[in-house]
Amino acid sequence: MRAGWLRALLVVLGVAALFAIPKVTGNEYVLALGVSFATFSVLSGGLNLVYGYTGLLSFAQVGFFGIGGYTAALLVTEQGWSLWAGAAAGGVLAALVGLVIGYSSLRLSRHAFAIVSLSFALLCVIVALEWVSLTRGAMGIPGLPIPTLSLPGGLRWRLGRPADFYYLLLGFAVVAHAVIYLVVTSRLGRAMRAIKLNEPLAQSQGVNPLSYKLLAIALSALLAGTVGGLFVFYLTIVDPSIFDFYYTETMLIMVIIGGPGSFWGVLGSSAVLAALPDLLRFTTDLRMVLYGAVLIAAMLLFPGGVGGWLQRRRRARWRRPGVTAP
Amino acid sequence: MTAALLQVRGLTKRYLGLTAVDDVSYEVEAGSVVGLIGPNGSGKSTIVDCLSGFQPADGGRWSLDGHELTGLSPHRIARAAMTRTFQTVRAYDELTLLDNLCVAAQESDGVGWLQALGRGSRLRGAERAAEARGRDLLATVGLADYAGAPAGILSYGQRKLLAIAASMMARPRLVVLDEPVAGVNPTMIRRIEQVIHQLNAEGVTLIIVEHNVDFIMALCRRVIVLDAGRKIADGPPALIRSDPRVLAAYLGQRGAAELGHGRR
Repeated sequence: MRAGWLRALLVVLGVAALFAIPKVTGNEYVLALGVSFATFSVLSGGLNLVYGYTGLLSFAQVGFFGIGGYTAALLVTEQGWSLWAGAAAGGVLAALVGLVIGYSSLRLSRHAFAIVSLSFALLCVIVALEWVSLTRGAMGIPGLPIPTLSLPGGLRWRLGRPADFYYLLLGFAVVAHAVIYLVVTSRLGRAMRAIKLNEPLAQSQGVNPLSYKLLAIALSALLAGTVGGLFVFYLTIVDPSIFDFYYTETMLIMVIIGGPGSFWGVLGSSAVLAALPDLLRFTTDLRMVLYGAVLIAAMLLFPGGVGGWLQRRRRARWRRPGVTAP
Repeated sequence: MTAALLQVRGLTKRYLGLTAVDDVSYEVEAGSVVGLIGPNGSGKSTIVDCLSGFQPADGGRWSLDGHELTGLSPHRIARAAMTRTFQTVRAYDELTLLDNLCVAAQESDGVGWLQALGRGSRLRGAERAAEARGRDLLATVGLADYAGAPAGILSYGQRKLLAIAASMMARPRLVVLDEPVAGVNPTMIRRIEQVIHQLNAEGVTLIIVEHNVDFIMALCRRVIVLDAGRKIADGPPALIRSDPRVLAAYLGQRGAAELGHGRR
């Protein structure tokens, strides 16, 4: 119980420290790193739910991210929706698309889902490029306006400064991770892990794998779509590069290094890896070489990710001779 | 006569040209322990897979306590109070023993997803009940000391015991144990035998599929014998031991003739 309170206190302090950063430094570069961390951590957190907890390798996250971005951009610029409503609509649309992809492919196998999710991500780029009347093709939708959000109590918040987007995305990331944490620490998360670890056994115990898989996919798509809707207004443009493989690659690295199925491991690796390519900027020529070296070293030291390493240490306790229940 | 708990009528399963299970019918009375034996490839495991919904049957119907189970998916059959274990012993290696058991109870306690997320009193009550039952079952199978350990540290025989405990978690009416003692040492076999007796005494009906004929003959008062997908004998162990068709199935026609009607 005391460990639980200590952890809660650390989390509150950590979040407070992150929110205090703009007060300490107005450095736009630091804030940009923060925005990048907040955004990627939501994407990797969602991927961790789908892949790390439920065992479904998914390449579709970037598609949900981009669908959210395009939906929010179009609804705000052409229909006059607020950013709140546009981003939420982007998240809901992404979740619906996720349910369609999941329901159609998971009836076959989890490999089918991996392949369909990859095809879906590639298809998104083609649609964004070719459906010119909706997406304006390769040009994308530039010059997204500075949004003004209405807050409870009649306040209006104009997102004019870099710090504003930092607050917005960090705030959303906190909410998103709270939701993910609530799910993975509940018995829903336990059932998801059971499905990943041994699906036939779970079925034989009355667990319906399809419903839990669809829950994980829909929730991760909802979060990815919503954060996509917010992020494009920070970029002030949405174009087909929002579906770039770079996003998929980064999310996957974050989850694999952090340890699939480890909430804190993936959150921590998201923070480190969001900053790492920039921390290595002191040497322009060797930057990406060093980044690669760090990734390889991490994989050699922690084959199951940081979370897997912690899990193994916990397990070793039970293997020591003479030790039974504590 | 009371109606049987499990009724199987004309179960048939074909793989391309081969008929693995050929028009098998039987009934299992509530409270009994029935053995299902047969030589390799006689269709024992196929029957288990069909009855539990893991493989679609090509013909036949089966019901538990009057509820039709034919064609249902595995999780629905499990929720209908018929559970099973697997020949290749299965466990959630990264979950604790207690969590291994609690997963097996959570789909049948009527607590919905939103209640599970809200963590209200309904969920807490259900989880407390599951934990209590889980600890009882771990004590029954002799694994109580490891309740908080991950299942991955268990030995093969201990994993078999854990699987049996998990199959009992949701208070099923009928449990099918698929080769519970295959590859297990004699001490552990006696332990599994005791556990089966104890669970049966608590009112669980069991079907035990085994290669180990001595184990089945000692444990069950009724044995069904399969050969090449057909039911060739059904009765008490004494009768089965001397049935010429059973001897022929296990030893071949000539072997059975040479042995006379002696014990195996």
